[in-house]
Amino acid sequence: MVVYRREPQRVLLTVIIVAGVALIVMSGRFSGTLRSGAHDAMAPVRSTVDRAFQPLRNVAGDITDYRPLQAENQRLRRTAADLRGQLRRNRGVGAEVGELQKLIDLPNVEDATGIAARVTGGAPGNFDRTVAINKGSAKGMRVGYPVVTGEGLVGTVTSVSTNQATVTLVDSPNLGVGVRLETSNAVAITEPRTGDRSIPLAFISDPFAQVQKGELVFTAAVNNAAFPPAIPVATVTSYSKGPQDLAPTITVAPLVNLDNLDFVKVLRWPDPTAASG
Amino acid sequence: MGIRRIRLLLVVITLLVLQTSVFTHLRVFDAVPDLLLVATIAMAYESGPMPGALFGFAAGLANDLFLTTPLGVSALAFALTGYAVGLFQTGLIRESRSIYPLLGGVGSVAGNILFILIGGIAGHDELFAAHHIQVIIVAALYDAVLANAIFPFMRWATRTDVGRAWPPG
Repeated sequence: MVVYRREPQRVLLTVIIVAGVALIVMSGRFSGTLRSGAHDAMAPVRSTVDRAFQPLRNVAGDITDYRPLQAENQRLRRTAADLRGQLRRNRGVGAEVGELQKLIDLPNVEDATGIAARVTGGAPGNFDRTVAINKGSAKGMRVGYPVVTGEGLVGTVTSVSTNQATVTLVDSPNLGVGVRLETSNAVAITEPRTGDRSIPLAFISDPFAQVQKGELVFTAAVNNAAFPPAIPVATVTSYSKGPQDLAPTITVAPLVNLDNLDFVKVLRWPDPTAASG
Repeated sequence: MGIRRIRLLLVVITLLVLQTSVFTHLRVFDAVPDLLLVATIAMAYESGPMPGALFGFAAGLANDLFLTTPLGVSALAFALTGYAVGLFQTGLIRESRSIYPLLGGVGSVAGNILFILIGGIAGHDELFAAHHIQVIIVAALYDAVLANAIFPFMRWATRTDVGRAWPPG
């Protein structure tokens, strides 16, 4: 009797395990469509909840909660952030680099048009470093578009549904960004670690580069890059190189507060109209 | 479709909506609760290993649609957790409500460890990180608290099945 009852259980459990493994193996083929549909179905709810939570966030962020002043404050903050970003970009695109970029006709961030979007929430799971934004393919959003604020780089769009998109943040271990150091122009790649807000740099092109704490790090200018050049990414927070070390250990901290995002700009990059032009 | 299945479907949809909207704003020390995992544990507690595994697979699959890990990782992790909790619950004294947070917390730890193992084997090496120990512990505490609300919810959803043996027929 016990054998009779347990046998179907074992068979069913085996079927579940096989189905799970098969799903994981074949996930890449159909997960995009399924996820896009699920996100679209959930988009109105997420948007409503986001609106419902906005007053709570406002109270937490600004105890005065006086709406006109708050709106003005937000506008000024965005302007200040834009200007800080502009200043940093100016530092990034120094005279020599700017001239070189013109010579080799590299497109830059000023060439990219943007889509303004609002962050509607963080990752629903414990092991993702993403945020959801309220614009999707209906507004021209595509996978791979860089995401910025006035302060600097936020991340990149990794999935898109009709009315929503998911942005993988720049400190996610799933995202490496080609960067250039401000002073030496040495190129490296960010190599984020799980749970660590400071990001180590790897594969530095010049192991003897002079690096100073506080200097800026920008997206690197290379052909077919995933990001436009000269977007501010981070500041150097530590630098060390022992006599035995082949390469220095450099860590940087993102310029953007990735835990408190409100509005972002998604850059159409590479520009979809550029190919035809 | 029986009334019980409709209730279970409603539970999954409700918890999924809460997970992907409300609780994305309520992150504590990098952790959010796993509502559908707690529901799976409650299902296994109420109905046994196979219903727990089947519910866990369906709930995990729904959860997977909103994550960046491959489809099936949560489904498999939740299903195995549901099965294990279902086997374990047969030896429990079922009168006390104080078991809910305990089961919710311990099951959450098991489910998240399984998620990391399966996701890591599936190629997401970044899941094997020391920081995730902290995340698992905080999430387990979160889940333990919410188990007090989710267990009665699942008891309501499964109540028409009282006295029914598994497998049916």
